[in-house]
Amino acid sequence: MIKTSTHNDLIQYIYDELALGEKQLFEQTLAQNHELAEHCAELLILQEKLNTELKVPSEKTINSILTYSKNLSLQQ
Amino acid sequence: MNTIQLSDSELVSLYIAGNENAFELLVKRHKNKVFTTILLIVKDTYTAEDLLQDTFIKAIHTMKSGRYNEEGKFSSWICRIAHNLAIDFFRKEKRNPTIEMEDGSNVFNTLAFAEESIESLQIKEDTHKRLRELIQQLPEAQKEVLIMRHYADMSFQEIAETTGVSINTALGRMRYALINLRKKMTNPSIDYDKNLYSQ
Repeated sequence: MIKTSTHNDLIQYIYDELALGEKQLFEQTLAQNHELAEHCAELLILQEKLNTELKVPSEKTINSILTYSKNLSLQQ
Repeated sequence: MNTIQLSDSELVSLYIAGNENAFELLVKRHKNKVFTTILLIVKDTYTAEDLLQDTFIKAIHTMKSGRYNEEGKFSSWICRIAHNLAIDFFRKEKRNPTIEMEDGSNVFNTLAFAEESIESLQIKEDTHKRLRELIQQLPEAQKEVLIMRHYADMSFQEIAETTGVSINTALGRMRYALINLRKKMTNPSIDYDKNLYSQ
């Protein structure tokens, strides 16, 4: 049974929000706890899937933003 | 100077000093994450495109007027503007827009897909579409934390402050969002528990 606090550490660990000391301690825990390590691996795989899911805006929109910025610079 | 290797913070400084190329690089670096953040909230491509413009226009004015706060990451800041604009839009509309995704033609804009077959592009797009649908099925509180942390790049502390909950609650919601997504992906037949950690 994994404690809730450990689960919270896991979420912060996969999102790289643990301080260096906490991170090292958590990695020691991971090395000793196979269930937690497995869960961590699953979440990292899912995180990767979410990362590849980014949508791309149209070139037209991006060009409009860049043109707006250039025009504003010319006015200043 | 090779701007491609510069940090966001350095690019912001260059842009404020008048370098438009620095801004172009900032936009190209963050456009997909910002756009996805908006799209997951408003669920409509055309609206998301408009709000993406509004987001960067707001950022342009903040930076150009010297009001940009150097504290924190640029990516968190720009995504937070996007998130707030998307939420404001959603509240004003007071409706649930229908999910209206494009036909996948946009994926051709990404270099990573440039040499892939039409078939594998279609499989990829179908997978992405399904993942977006699964995200939409999460309880509101879980979906909100997932979008804020994963796409808007906000820290759990910032999320806790923005949503008015403790950091442990924010972490718990994120954990259940990920677990529920994983369950749905591996067992589509499992009935989704909408009450699971939704508060």
